[in-house]
Amino acid sequence: MSVDPITRQVIRNALGAAAREMQTALVKTAHNPLIYEVQDFGLVLTNRLGQMVAESSGLPGFLACLPPTIQSGIQRVRFAEGDILLSNEPDDTGTHISDTVLYLPVFFGGKLVAFTAVMAHWADIGGITPGGWCPYSISLHQEGMIFAHNKLYSGGVLNEELLRFILRNVRFPKLVEGDLNAKISACKTGARRYAALCQRYGAEVVEQAMFEVFALSEARMRREISAIPDGRYRAEGKVDHDGVELGKAHTIQVNATVAGDEMTIDWTGTAPVAKGPINHPLVGTAALCATTLKSLTMPFDATNDGHLRPLTVTAPPDTLVSAAYPAPCDSYGYVAEVIVHLIVRALAQAIPERCPAATYQMCAYNLSREGKDPFICGEPVDGGGGALPHDDGPSGIMFAGNGDAPNTPVEVIESRYPLRVLRYTFNLENRGIGKYRGGFGVIRDLEILENGISLQTSTENNRHPLWGLAGGGDAGTTQILINAGTDHEVELDDRVTFYPVSKGDTVSLRTANGGGWGDPKERDRRRIAHDVRNGLLRPEEAAEQYSVDLAELQALI
Amino acid sequence: MSSNPYLAVDVGGTFIDFVHFDPAQRDLLVEKIPSSGSLEARFFEGIDLLGTDLSDIRVIVHGSTLVINTIVQESGARVGLITTKGFRDVLELGRGNRPEVYNLFYKPVPPLVPRYLRFGVTERLDHTGEILKPLDENGLRESLLALLNQGVEAIAICFLHAYANPIHERRAAELASELCPEVQICTSSEIVREFREFERTSTTVLNAYTQPRMGNYLRRLERGLTERRYPGAFAVMQSSGGVTSSATARQVPIRTLQSGPAGGAIGTRRLGEALGLKNLVAADVGGTTFDVTLIADGSLPERSQACFNGRPVQQATIDIISVGAGGGSIAHLDAEGGLQVGPQSAQAEPGPACFGLGGVEATVTDAQLLLGHLDAMSYLGERMRLDVDAAEHSIRDRVATPLGLSLKEAAAGIVHLANMNMAHAIRQVTVERGHDPREFNLVSYGGGGGLFAWALLEELDLRGAIVPPHPATFSAWGLLQTDYREDLSRTFVKAHAATTPAELGERFGELEREARTWSTDQRLDNENVSLILTRYAELRYQGQEHTLRIPVQTSDLSGPALDDLRSRFDAHYDRAYAHALSDHALEFVALRLTASLTGVKPTLARLDSASDPVEEAAKGRRQVSFGTSHEVVECPVFERGRLRAGHLLSGPAIVEEWNSTVLVPPSLRVEVDAFGNLLLTVKR
Repeated sequence: MSVDPITRQVIRNALGAAAREMQTALVKTAHNPLIYEVQDFGLVLTNRLGQMVAESSGLPGFLACLPPTIQSGIQRVRFAEGDILLSNEPDDTGTHISDTVLYLPVFFGGKLVAFTAVMAHWADIGGITPGGWCPYSISLHQEGMIFAHNKLYSGGVLNEELLRFILRNVRFPKLVEGDLNAKISACKTGARRYAALCQRYGAEVVEQAMFEVFALSEARMRREISAIPDGRYRAEGKVDHDGVELGKAHTIQVNATVAGDEMTIDWTGTAPVAKGPINHPLVGTAALCATTLKSLTMPFDATNDGHLRPLTVTAPPDTLVSAAYPAPCDSYGYVAEVIVHLIVRALAQAIPERCPAATYQMCAYNLSREGKDPFICGEPVDGGGGALPHDDGPSGIMFAGNGDAPNTPVEVIESRYPLRVLRYTFNLENRGIGKYRGGFGVIRDLEILENGISLQTSTENNRHPLWGLAGGGDAGTTQILINAGTDHEVELDDRVTFYPVSKGDTVSLRTANGGGWGDPKERDRRRIAHDVRNGLLRPEEAAEQYSVDLAELQALI
Repeated sequence: MSSNPYLAVDVGGTFIDFVHFDPAQRDLLVEKIPSSGSLEARFFEGIDLLGTDLSDIRVIVHGSTLVINTIVQESGARVGLITTKGFRDVLELGRGNRPEVYNLFYKPVPPLVPRYLRFGVTERLDHTGEILKPLDENGLRESLLALLNQGVEAIAICFLHAYANPIHERRAAELASELCPEVQICTSSEIVREFREFERTSTTVLNAYTQPRMGNYLRRLERGLTERRYPGAFAVMQSSGGVTSSATARQVPIRTLQSGPAGGAIGTRRLGEALGLKNLVAADVGGTTFDVTLIADGSLPERSQACFNGRPVQQATIDIISVGAGGGSIAHLDAEGGLQVGPQSAQAEPGPACFGLGGVEATVTDAQLLLGHLDAMSYLGERMRLDVDAAEHSIRDRVATPLGLSLKEAAAGIVHLANMNMAHAIRQVTVERGHDPREFNLVSYGGGGGLFAWALLEELDLRGAIVPPHPATFSAWGLLQTDYREDLSRTFVKAHAATTPAELGERFGELEREARTWSTDQRLDNENVSLILTRYAELRYQGQEHTLRIPVQTSDLSGPALDDLRSRFDAHYDRAYAHALSDHALEFVALRLTASLTGVKPTLARLDSASDPVEEAAKGRRQVSFGTSHEVVECPVFERGRLRAGHLLSGPAIVEEWNSTVLVPPSLRVEVDAFGNLLLTVKR
């Protein structure tokens, strides 16, 4: 059977629209800012085999994690109409257990035809630290409740005992329950749209149409890979520490092999599983490989199973990027950033024109107070984007894995929390120099207006900065200073939790550049003049870093 | 009640539409001329063509695309920016998000004011408006002189928390006007009184950026009108769906950003009132874009923020979804061999292949020509003859042959995909927002309104589709249905429990005083207009981000407590999201006041009742294929001008007037109502 090309396209578009409708339902009904504001979620529709037919997301890395979770469920569970399941085993989902998957088998005419699934960060999962992101756990069991494809609804009936158990084990039961309902409404929305398509065209036609789309997408991806020169491309990077053994850096190594229209990404040479929670499960590593390959080759096409097929991902067991139960994974995000930038670094040897330099490593903070007048003000801090092969990198942009999430306006922070923002401007450290320079990081200075407040920070790669490409400078490091410029200045070059700050103290977050691209000597003099004119570069710096003649520069300004 | 005529002038991408309505007579006068060349010259040329006597006219309402074009084409003024010291980079830093999550080369749009034209000045307020640091006037003077030396044409001033207290911005503007009398000065607090510094700065800069061009344009029109002894009011359409004086539009041009599509949305609501229909989908089918607005329960959806070319604008705007779909949409095969239609368009030049203006791409119009939806000989009232061979060539080479389809199959597929793109846009505003399309009627207008209505009706299972008279100039007609409107707002972040009715009343009182000043400033004939004030509060559960807008009644402000407001919020929230949290703390975020000056509006002209049988209106027959069945049907073609109220048509049929064609497939029937609307419904 072959589906005519018009019907095929209508079905493909309708499934894409269905995924977007799922996202609307989730965001509008969620109770947790991580969902409606920070967009920390991913949504997919798959066919009955768990193969992705459509997606919608704030965070790209999540998408490729959902099909393997469903495929694992297919192996283990007998589904009935009206079932809704929970699953968050990192070995299945590829991230940390806060990113719990809720999925729903879709039936039409009594037969299983599809799945709809949502992965979203829970407000709390009952682990050692509130809200997840534990920086120092040493076992998965410290990080919270584990769900192994448990049915929250069975045949349309709510499993009240399970729900009561969940809500008793989380710190913010109202938020968690509200979000669960939001996820259910998202999955049901997708299921309704899929069933409506089956009603109209027949379940077989819908399935066949998407099989044909998979084949077309796979063929396209194979053409894209064929265009990459055959060869073996290796790259290596480091993270500073795992949060538990603070003196020990960890190496990550990628070996990408392109042979004809296939690609293999192997991680042999990567350090063994870490003691602390920076480990990354293999499913997640494979997902990042797939989304990075898609970003490099065809960033604007809607993703489906076909795009993921020509790639094989392998790693020796029990490394930092192939961690398995019971390895702690809660702070997996730093390694996730390095994985993405390493793949790009390796492939830059083959297709440099498509590969930007590394972006700054993630930086985030929260200031909070427990007890009387409790509050929590948390946000990611933007930094420098890596230089592009044809242009300077973007300044003041979020790290790659943060997706479409924004920061919080200064005026909103000051009206909500006992904090004052003293400065929000470019951080003019010029480390990411090059023919094209990395984007600038930012300086965000906060003054603490009341007592009893504590600081938590996320920062990495301050001893081993992320890199430039093709001779460009590295991204430099992120600095966090307490009371900068006073005689009691303290530099926090590492992650802290429960760090006490008092009224009158200042916190200065100064994020790194992006890496540079190409030889700084080749930088267009007009770009240098532009930077000097705009106060981004001092003339002496220009002379030193770019070997430019000051008189010549003056003429251009 | 005045019986003087009204005039609407609606400037679009390809045409300027003129609609003249004289309450003493029954017909509308309509004119359409190309919008190329000098807009001012075209403006008066059209008025002359209509044969209008300006001294007789009472109100001219103008819809303009000048501001949005200035922003899209980046052809605005050289702007300098003054901010609070330490925050001059806010405009360039934005919010840090990456809207294109897979795009490794993503860069935000560059700021409209480069860094060397942005200056920070010492001053500081807190969020309550209290002064923490006084304005450093000497520092400010130095910065202004530096900007003057750089030859800026406009200066935007945006200080932190100026929404709470404009004192520093006002003083800075005074100094700037003294030092730089030739430069346009614009402060954030005169445009937006709400928090979020990036969005407010962006809005203020865009206003300064478009001010000189829009100001000059409107001043030239005003001068021309004065020379022609025009005695009436000259009003400009705003994004909010209300009009404002030309003087305000010159000062705050950013309010006219959605001036174009707003007219059609307002017209649709007015039509709904006349027909007793409260649930409508307004769809404007142009050559390049398809604009959709949902009217649910009689009200237009509004938003307080929108984004244009990646630049946010904090202004009251009708919520209009725009997708790249229309007659000019180009059909092509993507890299995977899938057929795509749009969003690229052949535009007015070179246009579809069948226009014979050098276009080679296969467009939806070409496909419609091959399917018989359009008549090659009578297009645009025989003002243009369509080239069937060129249409065949483009579709065969670019779609049919590569996909192994027949010419007809390819053409039907292109039209079907265009229909689907439009249907998805309607689904976005209905299904995705929880509305059932089966409860809505479509109002389909614009040049292509009658060509797509049938397919959207069938695809979405809508209740019916309405093609109004003169669909191609319906948006201009809508401009005549508007009120003068001013939107005032204040950020007001405070717990509901800690707020008294008296305090709320006091805050609204400030806004009301401003509204009355504005009302007097409009200098409208007081006997014919009335001022209507509507209060709203933006509320949310504490800790949430998204707010709901709840009307505030006069009784709320006089009662002992704000309990009733609270229960209305809970009820509204429950309807919207099914999870009311009645025991959760509630907070105010903003107060809004909408002031409208409502005057006499043109009524809908009535059509005579049918006395002759409908067959008398027939003028020929045509072979047409509908849908993807490739079956050719012979359709009678009717002259719309000869149809009368009460006439019934059974599909298949075609109804034509000089600038529009209405298709009726065999599955539909059409009724002509008392106002001359064509009501399409599915035969049951």
